[in-house]
Amino acid sequence: MFNSDLMKRLSDCFGPSGREKRIREMIIDEIKNFADEITIDPLGNLIARKKGTGKKILFSAHMDQIGLIITHVDEKGFLRFANVGGLNAKELLGLRMVFDNGLEGVICQEELKDKEKLTTGKLFLDVASTDKEFIVNNFRVGDMCVFKSEYYETKDCVICKAADDRIGCYVLIEALKNHPKTNNDVYYVFSVQEEVGCRGAKTAGYNINPDLAIAVDVTATGDAPDGIKMDVKLGNGAAIKLMDKSIITHTEVKDLLTDIAEKNNIKYQYEILEFGGTDAGPIHTSRDGVPSGVISIPTRNLHTSGEIFNKFDVEECIKLVIGTTAK
Amino acid sequence: MLKEFLFDICSNQFVSGFEHINGDILIKYFKPYTDSFEKDRLGSYIFKSSGSKNTKIMLAAHIDEIGLMVTGILDGGFLSFITVGGFNPASLIAQDVTIYGKEKIFGVIGIKPPHLTSEEERKKPIKTKELYIDTGYTKEKLEKLITIGDIATINREPLSLQGSVISAKALDDRACVAVMLETAKELKKISHKSNVYFTATAQEETGLRGAKTSSYKIAPDIGIVLDVGFGKTPDMPSDSAQLGKGPIVAYGGRLNTKLTKKFVEICKKYNYPMQYEAIPVRTGTDTDALQISRDGIPCILLSIPLRYMHTSVETIDLKDLEITGKAIARFINELDNSDLEEILCF
Amino acid sequence: MFLNELTKLSGVSGCEFEVRNYIKSKLSEMGCPFYVDKLGNIIAHNKGKKNKTIMVSAHMDEVGLIVTNIDNDGFIKFKAVGGIDQRVLNSKVVVIGENNIPGVIGSKAVHLMTEKERGGSLPIDKLYIDIGTSTKEETEKLVNIGDYAAFKGDYVEFGDNMIKAKALDNRVGCSIILEILKEKLDADFYGVFTVMEEVGLRGAETAAYQLEPDLGIVLEGTVCADMPKVEEHESSTLIGKGAVLSLMDNATVYDINLVRSVAKIAEDNNIAYQYRRSTSGANDAGVIHKAKKGAKVVSISVPCRYIHSSVSVASKNDLMSALKLTKQVIIEKQKGE
Repeated sequence: MFNSDLMKRLSDCFGPSGREKRIREMIIDEIKNFADEITIDPLGNLIARKKGTGKKILFSAHMDQIGLIITHVDEKGFLRFANVGGLNAKELLGLRMVFDNGLEGVICQEELKDKEKLTTGKLFLDVASTDKEFIVNNFRVGDMCVFKSEYYETKDCVICKAADDRIGCYVLIEALKNHPKTNNDVYYVFSVQEEVGCRGAKTAGYNINPDLAIAVDVTATGDAPDGIKMDVKLGNGAAIKLMDKSIITHTEVKDLLTDIAEKNNIKYQYEILEFGGTDAGPIHTSRDGVPSGVISIPTRNLHTSGEIFNKFDVEECIKLVIGTTAK
Repeated sequence: MLKEFLFDICSNQFVSGFEHINGDILIKYFKPYTDSFEKDRLGSYIFKSSGSKNTKIMLAAHIDEIGLMVTGILDGGFLSFITVGGFNPASLIAQDVTIYGKEKIFGVIGIKPPHLTSEEERKKPIKTKELYIDTGYTKEKLEKLITIGDIATINREPLSLQGSVISAKALDDRACVAVMLETAKELKKISHKSNVYFTATAQEETGLRGAKTSSYKIAPDIGIVLDVGFGKTPDMPSDSAQLGKGPIVAYGGRLNTKLTKKFVEICKKYNYPMQYEAIPVRTGTDTDALQISRDGIPCILLSIPLRYMHTSVETIDLKDLEITGKAIARFINELDNSDLEEILCF
Repeated sequence: MFLNELTKLSGVSGCEFEVRNYIKSKLSEMGCPFYVDKLGNIIAHNKGKKNKTIMVSAHMDEVGLIVTNIDNDGFIKFKAVGGIDQRVLNSKVVVIGENNIPGVIGSKAVHLMTEKERGGSLPIDKLYIDIGTSTKEETEKLVNIGDYAAFKGDYVEFGDNMIKAKALDNRVGCSIILEILKEKLDADFYGVFTVMEEVGLRGAETAAYQLEPDLGIVLEGTVCADMPKVEEHESSTLIGKGAVLSLMDNATVYDINLVRSVAKIAEDNNIAYQYRRSTSGANDAGVIHKAKKGAKVVSISVPCRYIHSSVSVASKNDLMSALKLTKQVIIEKQKGE
């Protein structure tokens, strides 16, 4: 059964890269009765451990979402910003943004001589106030904001912001809650700052030094008219990544995941992504190397305020994570 | 022997991420000249030749080659693919390929005939996603033989050109794995005191990944990185290195100056020819990973001049390999008998 | 005053010998223990009250040029080491190699230029250095492929407490660390002078690996574009408005609580400060915070106009603010949270 309430709370929770405090606290609250040990490392990664004497397995899903950072506040309520994570100017125009304190703004553009040359520097956030004191007291250089958008679901799919990678966090939370009987020493890592370069994963990977690492993140699909050519489709199950720009999945990990999926009747599909990377990137090259792979949740419309995934795929991903833990 | 090794190894695939498949070939050649063998957890091969001192010298040459990965099985028995590592898609046109599925499958990458192609279309640069592998099977038959994620390489028999010049695919960086073999042979003859680790690193073409993990594992005192450099042809800058004139010695921030100068001294002493290059920032080789491994590894970088890099007709002069292999052996000897700390201190 | 002498030295990324030797001699004079690591970083230790491992770092290197080829007429071809806008190279004096051989980078006489050429600049691969020789052989006696060429420029104090010199990025940082080490605070920290920051944050990576700091304080000379016709929101920092605190750049998202706590230290001690309002660029903090198990980092910078050219400009007041703030942060953070 898909836990819509949990996913909605995960999606709505404020947590752009580097400001993951709220989402971390929310997740701790959710999992505190299920983990043997909870630690937070210097970068802010949340590590929930289920102790064991067997192999060390690390699962990683990132808590952070993309957003904007305010670089200039003028007294008229026009804020300048830079992006936090992958976003470009054309995608931002007209969007509604929300700050940690609940205040909102709309992204507008300067007068442009050449409409094609729209850059982030030509945009500004209008926070809808003519009260100078209000503006100066509530908005500071360094504040961050994220998309404002509503969670919505149909019978089989969900539209929400930050499915990347709150749906990965959802998968790990559900897997942890249903942690199987096993000797393995399992680390559920909710990592920070993936969107700005998989930074949390680097230190978590070094610190834990596992025998096997699996990142749980979203991937694109090829089943929409948006021009992306991939074999991955919504509803076709958990995607087992073969390659992206950050990792070529170890053959033995690919075989392991395939084997677990087949033996447990989990629907799966193979995935090759021509662009992008995940936490598995820095983890698999840490120290003298870590055999690694990625379980992906197929998602359309990535890095927008309305990412779309399929609930069945999510269930299959959870089963695959649990299956891996048990092996 | 170098030619035999190269011809053997260049006829087999070692695509980035899949270097574990044909490892036996490497082991066969390196075993007679080394004491032990192990791998890091990414798939790099480390052959160790033990010495009497504690000093550790790591030689690094990457074994992986660029290749193709199947992304889709289409009607008519065509395969769509993407590249693993940096390919110019133009070099894929009109080539034979082998796809490593459940069995080896032959395929062809072709393009529309000139009769049906306008002048304008011919001038447009081609993209990888516009190319397909033609297997000659039906889609149904193909689906039984191939899965998404299978890899493919271009078919190219190694070829002897005039003199000691040869042409093959993936001489980047097999030529340097051959140099390591030459050094291993020499050291067995003249003996050495340092522990030498001949490392065939994995996944260099996709981000120096094996260099990072293998150097972490070995934690050497110095690194000697071997890769290929740009050999002169009519369309290259006039100061490019030439085939047959010896290895290209690199100067720059990523290399240790005193160690490099020591190598140059040895080459002058034994009359080995050399060429030079200055690299301001990134070398684009395993050096970039080795230099900052753990608390740092002082490195030198030697490049074998090579024409037509990243195509299936890479061309080198075997003379350069012999010279470099022997020069490194002499260099290691010299380091054995020097105060390494003195050379490396600032 | 360290800054004056530091800016006269050549230290292009990968060839920091002159700067390193100067700093080593100053540290010896002070009686401050230090060692030089495998990449050439200087790691000095100021012993004192210790609560956590603090690494205060500044890079020794500057952007410059490297010799790539000598042509048949004895002219020297080069490539840029680090980010250099080719426009700042027109009509400049440089010094090459260990012996500081002087050379000039000139430009065709304007009389011979077409309308289109005037005001334009050649790309770096079309430029060359002239040391006054007429043959390849003559030049090769003095200059080798791989030699480094640094800008030559004097240290000048001018205007209202302003400084002009080359390489204020990052001799300002180095001078601040030296000044603080001289004071022998009763607060433990490692003063680290790193190599090759401008070409990929190289030295800091191995230094952080060795020290495993809990807190990194990175000192820098940073971009300041407060000039006519530049909009306020595009200037990043302002001259004279104090020490600069970074919020985010290409390599680091700074912990906002840590940054605000440093701002509070500035306020409590009446030290002028401002925020860096641009997210471009990167510095050693980028690799320090990700080393091994991770560390918290903060960047304190001095605004420099015309950075990465031979005429960088900074305010002595800002330099003072950065120095005072760094000192206070070290003391506060060793008091214990």
